[in-house]
Amino acid sequence: MKLTGKPVSRGIVLGRVLKYRPFVPSVSDAPISTEDVEAAWARYDKTVELARQELDRLEARLLADSPDKAKIVAAHREILQDPAMDEEIRGLIGARTPPDAAIERVYGSFIELLGRSKNEMMRERASDLVDVKNRLLRCWAGEPERNLARLEQPVIVVADDLYPSDTVSMDRSKVLGIITQVGGATSHTAIIARSYEIPAVLGVPGALAALEDGAEIVLDAVKGEIVLCPTGEECAAYAAAAEQVRENLRETAAYLDAEPVTLDGVRAEVRLNVAAANDFELSGAAHADGCGLFRTEFLYLEGDRLPGEEEQYQIYKRVLLAFGEKPVVLRTLDVGGDKQLACLELPHESNPFLGVRGLRLCLAHEALLRTQVRAALRASVHGSLRVMLPMVGALDEVRAAKAIFREEGEALSAAGIPWNPSMPVGIMVEVPSIALIADLAADEVDFVSVGTNDLCQYLTASDRMNPSVKPYHQDYHPAMFRALGYIARSFQAAGKPVSVCGELGGDPLAIPALLGLGIQKLSMSRASLAGAKRVIRSIRMEDAQALAQRVQSLKTEGEIKACLTEFARAHKSAAPG
Amino acid sequence: MYAKEFTIQNRTGLHARPASDFVALAATFKSKIELSRAGEADRYNGKSIIMLLTLGLMQGERATLSAEGEDEREAVEALLALTAGFVD
Repeated sequence: MKLTGKPVSRGIVLGRVLKYRPFVPSVSDAPISTEDVEAAWARYDKTVELARQELDRLEARLLADSPDKAKIVAAHREILQDPAMDEEIRGLIGARTPPDAAIERVYGSFIELLGRSKNEMMRERASDLVDVKNRLLRCWAGEPERNLARLEQPVIVVADDLYPSDTVSMDRSKVLGIITQVGGATSHTAIIARSYEIPAVLGVPGALAALEDGAEIVLDAVKGEIVLCPTGEECAAYAAAAEQVRENLRETAAYLDAEPVTLDGVRAEVRLNVAAANDFELSGAAHADGCGLFRTEFLYLEGDRLPGEEEQYQIYKRVLLAFGEKPVVLRTLDVGGDKQLACLELPHESNPFLGVRGLRLCLAHEALLRTQVRAALRASVHGSLRVMLPMVGALDEVRAAKAIFREEGEALSAAGIPWNPSMPVGIMVEVPSIALIADLAADEVDFVSVGTNDLCQYLTASDRMNPSVKPYHQDYHPAMFRALGYIARSFQAAGKPVSVCGELGGDPLAIPALLGLGIQKLSMSRASLAGAKRVIRSIRMEDAQALAQRVQSLKTEGEIKACLTEFARAHKSAAPG
Repeated sequence: MYAKEFTIQNRTGLHARPASDFVALAATFKSKIELSRAGEADRYNGKSIIMLLTLGLMQGERATLSAEGEDEREAVEALLALTAGFVD
C-alpha cells in the first residue's frame, strides 16, 4: 500500500514511524466537594510549579543557540505567573470548580478577549496564552511533554502539521524524515526540512490514520511516495535507490569547497543568501564568494517594536565580520505584499503585491529607512558592504533613496562617525517596468540583482501564493530568459555587476543558461551551494552561451525545460532522479 | 492610597516589552498597584501582564496609576519614571 504527497526535500529513507500528536486537553466539569478545596489548591500550585520547571529547562536549553526563542519562553513564564489570572483561578477553585476547569475558563476568557483585539500584537499574545494553557492542562493530567527534542532512536516523524515551536526544538540528528498531512513546497516545514536536508513529503491526507507507531515504512521524497509494509524486495530496491540518492548527494557535497570555475576556465561567483544571520547560516560564509542577498526582514518581523539603529548596526557588523573581505549585499527592508509587520500598523490593501511594499513602503515611512541607512553606513567600515533597494519600479524612486543615503552620510560625517563613502548602491529587478529600462537604470546604479521569484510573478501576472494559477507562474517562461538577457547585456555594457538572487540562481537546471546569458554571480541558500558549484565545474562557457542563445529563441516553457534538461543530461551537470 | 495621572508617551503604548518592564518593576513593591483609563471606573491589576494587555493603553491616552500599601509613594513614582522613559 502506498500514500502519496508532495516531495519538498529530496531523499529516500527507510525507518520507523513516530506519530507526533500534540496533547489534546479534556477538562472535568463536576464540582468538587468543599472539603476537597484545600487539596485542589495544593494540586493547582503543584501543577503551576511543574509547568514553570518545564519552561525553565526549555529556556536554559534555548539560551545558548536561539536567544530569540528563549525570550518567547520567558514571556510564557510571565503569563504562567500572572497574579490576576492566578487570583481568578484560585477564586473559582474556592467556589468548588475543579482546577482544570478553572484554568480552562480563566485562560479561555482572556484568550477570547485578546483574540478579538484589532491589534495584531494582542492577538499574538492570545496564541501565547493558548500555549501556556495547554502546558498547564497537560501538567495537570500528568502527561509528559511531547516534543521532538528528545528522541530515543531515529524516526520518521508523522504529524498533521509541524509548528515552528516543534521544529525549533527538534532533535535533527534523530529525524530521518518528515511526513505531514497538510503543507506544500513553500510552507514553514518545507523550508526547515530543506535547510536541514531532511527528506520530507508533505500534503499526505490520512497519513496519521494509515500509519502505525513503530511501523517500518519507506519514505521516498524524490517521487513523493510512502510505502507501508514494504516487502523484502521493495526494501532492497528502495535501499539501493536511497543509496544512489545519498551517493549523489555525497558526490555533490564534495563540491562545497570547490572553486566555481567552468571547464574552460571562467570563474563564476557563488554567493550565499542570508535571511536570519544565525550561526548556522553564517557558517556558510566559508563556502561562498560572499553574500549576494542579506534579507533584513527578520529584524522587523520577529520583534514587537522597530529595531533601533544600534541594534541593526551590531547585526550588520556581525554579518560583515563573518564574511571578512567578501562582499555582502544588504537589501533594505522588503515588507508589504505577503509580509506584514507586527510593529508597524499598515492600512489594508486589496491587492498587496501591487501595493505599498519594498522601497515604496520605506519611502512612505522615511524615518524607518533613514534608521536602516544610518546603521548600514556605519557598518560599511567593517567589510565590503553594498546596499540594494527592493521593488524598484522607476528611477525617481532610486533618486529619492540615494538622496537619503547622501543626507545620512553627510550627517554621519558631520558627527565625526566613520563610514565608507564609496559603498555601492544597487537595485533589485523584480518589477517589469525597471527590467524594460535596464539600460537607463545601469546609468544610475552601481549594480543589479534579479529577484526571479517576484519578477516571474509580475511578468506572468500570476500570484505565487495562489495554487490555482501555478500553471501560469512559469519560472522558465521565455519572457524570463529574455528579460534576464536584456538586463545582463545592459549592465555589462555599462561595466557594472549583474547577479541573480532568486530561486533560479540556485537551480541546477537553470544555471548553465544564466551563465550563458552573462550572469556569473549567483546567490542562493546554503543547501544549493555545492550543487551549483558542481554544475559550473561540469560545463564549458561556450556551450552555456550557445544554450542561452537557443533558450531565448524557444517559444514555450515546456520547450525551454526540455532543452535545459537535455543539456544537463548531456553534461551530467544536474543530479539525476 | 497614593495616585497620579499620566499620559502614555511612547508609540507602542503599554504593550509588549514596555508592559513586561512595567509588570516586572511593579512586582518589586509590596503595595497593591492599579491602573485605570482616564474617565473609566474599571481598575486593572498593575502587576498582571494580562490585565495590562487587556487594558491596552495606547500612545496619547491618559491613565491613573494608584498604589496602596507601605511603599505606595515609591511605587507610583518609580513606575511613572519608568513609563516616562519608554522610547520607541
